[in-house]
Amino acid sequence: MNREIDLASTIVAIATPPGVGALGIIRISGPAALEIASKIFQGKHELSPWHLVQGNLFDFESGEFFDEATAVYFPASRSYTREDMVELICHGSPVILEEVVRLALKAGARMAHPGEFTLRAYLNGRIDLLQAEAVNDLIRATSLRQARLSFYQLNGRLSRKIDGLRESLIYILSQIEAAIEFPDEGILLDKEQIRKKIKEVIGELDKLIESHNLGEAMMRGVTLALVGRANVGKSTLFNALLEKDRAIVSPFPGTTRDYLEEKIKIDDLIFNLVDMAGLGKPDHPVEEEGIRRGRQLASQAEGLLIILDNSQPLCDADLEILSLARDKKAIFVLNKIDLPAQIEREKLNALAGGSKLIEVSALFRLNLDKLKRSIAEVFSPALNKNYENVIFHWREKAALERTKEALTQVLEKQNGGYSDEIIAEELRLAADTLGQLTGEIKSEEIINAIFSEFCIGK
Amino acid sequence: MAVIGEYDVIVVGAGHAGCEAAWASSRMGYETLLVTIHLETIAQMSCNPAVGGLAKGHLVREIDALGGLMGRITDETGIQFRLLNSTRGAAVQAPRAQCDKAKYRLMMKHWLENTPHLTIFQAIVTEIMVRDGKVKGIRTLDGSEFIGRAVILTPGTFLNGLIHIGLQSYPAGRANEPPSLELSQCLRRLGLKIIRLKTGTPMRLDRHTIDWSYFTPQPGDEEPVPFSFWTKKKLENKIVCYLGYTNEKTHEIIRRNLDKSPLYSGKIKGIGPRYCPSIEDKVVKFPHHNRHQFFLEPEGIDTAEIYVNGLSSSLPLEVQMEILKSIPGLDQAKILRPAYGIEYDAVLPTQLKPNLEVLEIENLFLAGQINGTSGYEEAAAQGLMAGINACLKLRGEPPFILRRDQAYIGVLIDDLISRGVEEPYRLFTSRAEYRLNLRIDNADQRLTPYGYKLGLISEDDYRLFLEKKERLQRAMVFLESQKISIPESGILTLKNYLKMPKVFFNDVIKYAAQLKELSPEERRFLEAEIKYEGYLKKQQREIEELSKVDEVRIPPNFNFQEVPGLTREAIEKLAKFNPSTLGEAKRIPGITPAAIINLLVYFKKKKPESNKKDHLDVSRET
Ligand SMILES: Nc1nc2c(ncn2[C@@H]2O[C@H](COP(=O)(O)OP(=O)(O)OP(=O)(O)O)[C@@H](O)[C@H]2O)c(=O)[nH]1
Ligand SMILES: [Mg+2]
Repeated sequence: MNREIDLASTIVAIATPPGVGALGIIRISGPAALEIASKIFQGKHELSPWHLVQGNLFDFESGEFFDEATAVYFPASRSYTREDMVELICHGSPVILEEVVRLALKAGARMAHPGEFTLRAYLNGRIDLLQAEAVNDLIRATSLRQARLSFYQLNGRLSRKIDGLRESLIYILSQIEAAIEFPDEGILLDKEQIRKKIKEVIGELDKLIESHNLGEAMMRGVTLALVGRANVGKSTLFNALLEKDRAIVSPFPGTTRDYLEEKIKIDDLIFNLVDMAGLGKPDHPVEEEGIRRGRQLASQAEGLLIILDNSQPLCDADLEILSLARDKKAIFVLNKIDLPAQIEREKLNALAGGSKLIEVSALFRLNLDKLKRSIAEVFSPALNKNYENVIFHWREKAALERTKEALTQVLEKQNGGYSDEIIAEELRLAADTLGQLTGEIKSEEIINAIFSEFCIGK
Repeated sequence: MAVIGEYDVIVVGAGHAGCEAAWASSRMGYETLLVTIHLETIAQMSCNPAVGGLAKGHLVREIDALGGLMGRITDETGIQFRLLNSTRGAAVQAPRAQCDKAKYRLMMKHWLENTPHLTIFQAIVTEIMVRDGKVKGIRTLDGSEFIGRAVILTPGTFLNGLIHIGLQSYPAGRANEPPSLELSQCLRRLGLKIIRLKTGTPMRLDRHTIDWSYFTPQPGDEEPVPFSFWTKKKLENKIVCYLGYTNEKTHEIIRRNLDKSPLYSGKIKGIGPRYCPSIEDKVVKFPHHNRHQFFLEPEGIDTAEIYVNGLSSSLPLEVQMEILKSIPGLDQAKILRPAYGIEYDAVLPTQLKPNLEVLEIENLFLAGQINGTSGYEEAAAQGLMAGINACLKLRGEPPFILRRDQAYIGVLIDDLISRGVEEPYRLFTSRAEYRLNLRIDNADQRLTPYGYKLGLISEDDYRLFLEKKERLQRAMVFLESQKISIPESGILTLKNYLKMPKVFFNDVIKYAAQLKELSPEERRFLEAEIKYEGYLKKQQREIEELSKVDEVRIPPNFNFQEVPGLTREAIEKLAKFNPSTLGEAKRIPGITPAAIINLLVYFKKKKPESNKKDHLDVSRET
């Protein structure tokens, strides 16, 4: 979506979540915030900076009061958006809240777009882009750990890290530039030292890039497909992991035909589990379509739970499914261990190779904790690393990767005997790319990118 | 008071800025008066006897490409020529020449004396006459008035100049030359914000009293590279410079005498340049360096004066002598002129428009050191641009403004007017975002068509330019099509061969003898265009992207109050600067990105008011 940036109008939105609550908050921000709020709110005192004022909400059309409320006026100099802002706190009924918004619109405000308060805070220079993203993340935090990381990011920990790396690059650059600008001063470039410093920065970038794996698992979740022959117990395991009867289970093969997706949380991580039709010989055209989709889902998933039936010997279909583990991270789940073993364990162990093999009974919920722990370990290896900063967004990861690419170029070009001004050019590019992370406004393209950033977060 | 004469353009000051300004405006057909305190000091090199260097040499090439004088006169009067960074790539190579100072002055004077429409006059200007916010002319010390439709002010360090030698100080513009006190007061009266800057110059020694055997010779290049695109004669090195070092003993003397330094005793208030520190600065700031280098540079052929590049100082004369005593080879050296520091007034350049016209005073232009720069080349570049723009203003035509991606001149002026200065401003190549394109070898390709259109380039010179351009195009086509076979890489075009690192134009010539006819300058151009091709293309895309925003036009005399959401401060600034494009608006100091976005939205789509919806669609803030 490409929305106009417009800082001219005064915007309004309900700040508290939908539904009935004891209290509700309405935020108004922009040049006319005070004027608009004063129309709707009649306080016992006049609104003055940072003072909580008691009063009543007033319908200026009908001339009637409709709720008690308190209001705070934040002048632009120190408000969240760096614009004049008023927050109205009233009772939390949706009817009241919507009435306040309606009146604010009548008085000249416009409905805020999602994220627009934060967008304004950014555009008015109160926070940088990384911090703006953190606001969004904090609101949506799914775990305390993520909240904590986002909070630090909002406080500028990641921005400082990025700035620090940028400064290192600029320092290296300044050495090269000095040699270029003052050729008579006899400045000798220590190429080895420069390489070492660049490699250090690359190392730091690598850590940040790697942490995205964890950030991703915390924010969006890692998608895992449950694959296996018909009737091995995929849906039973799916339900057992979710701890609710979500999928239909039956003794007849071919029960699940379409796919189902549900989230589970293991520690601070989110996994999107996908149950689907059994992969194997179809008995029915609908099943055939289910299998086709199943294969597609399996190929798109970030990881696989390959489920086998302990009470059945290995068949050709099993073997074909086992081979999926060749190009994806996978865990082998040997289900129905409550039944006598018919499966050829020797052969299976050999086939599993390096992958984990966990024995469970989905029906009797045996060993499910062990399975969960393995899932977290295998699919989010970054889990146990104590990252100081975690990258939650693709935008950030992509910028870090571009920076790394430019720095790799620097090393290569230096090796290849390219001249200093070309090395400097690549270094500048790397420093600029890092700068984009915190959001320097440089061109319309970047302004547009900011737009879409704020739309991704909704 | 007597009105002595009427001119289209009056240039005050005949330093490097003033000379180029006067040249440009008379050459563009405007009756021009050039006023200077002394006819003898026209185009005086007040400090070092050299022109060019990194970024500065680039500027001279650009001045030359536009039709200015500095490059030609340097080639005429140069006595040693070097191409700096010759082992690095083309973008950071730049020529530098030692000049014969006296010859440079005479040559410039001679050139100007023979320029039609130009009158030179010796006088001390005391007042800029302004009426209703528009310049009217100048008044001189004896009360004479000269009417001028435009005035270009280029007073160098003369504005309220104060020379320091030790704790002694006396008012002067240059050693023993009177400063302009009235002019500085006049500018204050006109409401301009004045800043105080400082610079310095080293001692000049008697060449006969130096024992040269102690120093390392620094000869010129075997094949000198000229500054001017139109210089055809072979240049000759006539002198050698020498390199020497200070020592611990020198530093000890300096440390012991710091209390006699006007800078360290707090007497000097002006801010000096970091990149051109005095020897006392170097000793204080780099205590761990046990030596500092200096160069001994002859000031000319017919003079014994030797400029000691690197020993700029404002310590008392007796300390300067002690310093020399501590350096073997200089221990017997006689000082002909002492080193000194100078403080002077400059105008905060954020008060100028991109055409160098004072915002508040129509048709008054400022150029050179008055705008906070240092260096002959920076001054000359501004002078040329001020001269051109004064004429365009009188003609009622749009100003001639070079963008940052087009020329170092654009970088220089943009930096000055959008950021202001805190110390004397010197240009560096790293100030340019698009350095790989701003080269000495393509300055003519970038700028000469403008110079021709403006009337600064003669028909003959332009014809030579066009011929060169065609030659370059032909050569490029040839390089792109001609294939060769080399052991490791197989069959490839000459162009792709040249793209490889460590392959240079001379290697290519081995395969194509007909390229031998190209001049060194032309070879440098082709090599750079090919080696930088990928970068240049990428930058071109970026420039186009940026210019989409920059080129959004703002109608003249636009009422910025119409744009919703602008702060009062922004409206005031915009109204004052009256930018004609969004790019110009962006460069106004204190204009925030948010204000630019407001303007962008307003001018790109004047969208209908869609805000006041009657129905309620409640969204939640997230
Ligand atoms: N004894 C035992 N039976 C199980 C276990 N897990 C699943 N079953 C049974 O196996 C049968 C098939 O289970 P489902 O979960 O429907 O199998 P599915 O793999 O989803 O089958 P399709 O959807 O047909 O592909 C059911 O009768 C389950 O009760 C287990 O651990 N032990
Ligand atoms: Mg099923």
